[in-house]
Amino acid sequence: MMNAPFFKFGLFGDEISLVIAFLIGIGFGFSLERGGFGSAKILAAQFYLTNMRVFKVMFTAIITAMLGIYYLSVFGWVDLSLVYSTDTFLIPQIVGGLILGIGFVVGGYCPGTSVVSFATGRIDGLVFLLGVTGGIFIFGEVFPFIKDFFYSTPMGKVSIPEFFNLSYGLVVFIVVVIAVAGFAGAEWVEKWMANKKGEN
Amino acid sequence: MKCIMSDWNIEKKLGLFALVLGFIAIFAGSPFHSAEVKVNTKDIALSTVNDKIDVTELADYIIKGNADYRLIDLRDEEEFKIYFIPTAMNIPITQLAAAPLMRNEKIILYADDDVAAAQGWFILKSEGYNGVYLLKGGLNEWKDKVLFPKLASDAAPEEKIEFEKMCEVSKFFGGVPQTDASETVKQEVKLPSLDLPATTNLSTQGKKKKREGC
Amino acid sequence: MSKLFGFLFHADDHEHEHTINPKPYSNPYLVGIGLGLVLLAAFVIMGRGLGASGALSTVVAVGVEKIAPEHAAGNEFYQGYITEDGKSPFKDWLVFEVIGVLVGGFMSGAFAGRIKKSIEKGPRVTNKMRLVYAFIGGGLMGFGAKLARGCTSGQALTGGALLNLGSWAFMLMVFAGAYAFAYFMRRQWT
Repeated sequence: MMNAPFFKFGLFGDEISLVIAFLIGIGFGFSLERGGFGSAKILAAQFYLTNMRVFKVMFTAIITAMLGIYYLSVFGWVDLSLVYSTDTFLIPQIVGGLILGIGFVVGGYCPGTSVVSFATGRIDGLVFLLGVTGGIFIFGEVFPFIKDFFYSTPMGKVSIPEFFNLSYGLVVFIVVVIAVAGFAGAEWVEKWMANKKGEN
Repeated sequence: MKCIMSDWNIEKKLGLFALVLGFIAIFAGSPFHSAEVKVNTKDIALSTVNDKIDVTELADYIIKGNADYRLIDLRDEEEFKIYFIPTAMNIPITQLAAAPLMRNEKIILYADDDVAAAQGWFILKSEGYNGVYLLKGGLNEWKDKVLFPKLASDAAPEEKIEFEKMCEVSKFFGGVPQTDASETVKQEVKLPSLDLPATTNLSTQGKKKKREGC
Repeated sequence: MSKLFGFLFHADDHEHEHTINPKPYSNPYLVGIGLGLVLLAAFVIMGRGLGASGALSTVVAVGVEKIAPEHAAGNEFYQGYITEDGKSPFKDWLVFEVIGVLVGGFMSGAFAGRIKKSIEKGPRVTNKMRLVYAFIGGGLMGFGAKLARGCTSGQALTGGALLNLGSWAFMLMVFAGAYAFAYFMRRQWT
């Protein structure tokens, strides 16, 4: 009964997986552009509280996929243990996240959205992509010197339920509550900011 | 109830739907079922026909550098350190069920003899792996036929030719062909010492480094 | 040299959201569900999530290897992206996925009439400065993404949906960092 993830069960080979990568990428890029994420103005607006799209799209996507994979696994249709999840290296990920956040508001994009931006004609998206390439190159060059930091605080493949010793289902519920509360808050903030702007 | 909800916009309805699904999740149980399996005994019985590999075949694969299989040593770490068949990776049988092996690979199992390997075979077949094979005779057979091939002093010419071939193979693996088989004394032959593979980490060893991160 | 950059700078300023000819952007919640389903499809079909920075890392590693092979050989980071068994390193899942993102983004933009050579920015900054910031921001992003083992697609979206601890920590820090630094960038956007 359980034969998904299909690739992990050998239902098709590497060549087809590349075709699938391409198709999934199309879906990804299409969704991002639909959401307006090809525009740095819209992306950056998140951090000035005027347009909370980034939060709304991101968290809706997260809880959709999270609920989906959870229920598919509970019904036994997907083997969740075969879905790849990255190892946690807590400190480098925290520091990396901080740097990335700063880069986000300076550059106005993240790697995925900059590709979409470039695809719809934005020069700044292209320049951003070149910057990302440069940043990766610098990382590669200094890698030998920061190798120890890069591998510090390894925690292996650990999930939030495991770490806080809560049941998976409970964490799913908590995440949904946080997300929906966040959406309500986001709507409120947008209205408030719009009113403020109207008053000026 | 319906009247209240009918003038909610789609977003509120979706939000409620998500909350309901989330709430049910608290009681729906764990998404990890991997310890329980459904075993199709008929299929398993049928697959016993073609799933054994001779030591000479394996030796051939290794010499030719044929890399489309994963060779697994089911013994424990200490025994593995003493000697292992080249290109093998160590997964003690107690950890086999949890090992992150790909289901679309050809997996060859061995232990000292057929018994432990057969148990490992059953574990993997139950979990839905298809390409699982046993090294016939296990490490004992490997030592016997590949590392230390013997030639009886009264052997027929075809057997002598076979033996010559096996001598080459044996030397490749650092073994010592036994030409004087009349000596039934159990010489304490030294097993070739091998460098342990650089990493026994499943995710980095093997022919293809499948990167699945981002 | 300046003529080359001149071409880049002479694009339309984008101070206002598209309102006239191009169609407005879709409901963010519906878009989010669509995106979530794409991610779910990746989980179910491939047993992996999405990503973006990894594909660019491959490009960088291959580039370095072509230009300075010995240097690349000695560097563990580049080695991770260059396979040795004769297979082209570009035959990589993420590379094909990112090409798909390019095509998909273009398709969506084309259907909605939103393809236009332009530079997105706020009213108080010049085109040139915007591009400088874009490059620097991209550089920071690239570096941070490698440290964190992914960017918002791979870590935040994928890891978020899988309740990965490091991914959630990462995601919180991204928002924290962006909000904290937004004050210093306000002239670029508002």
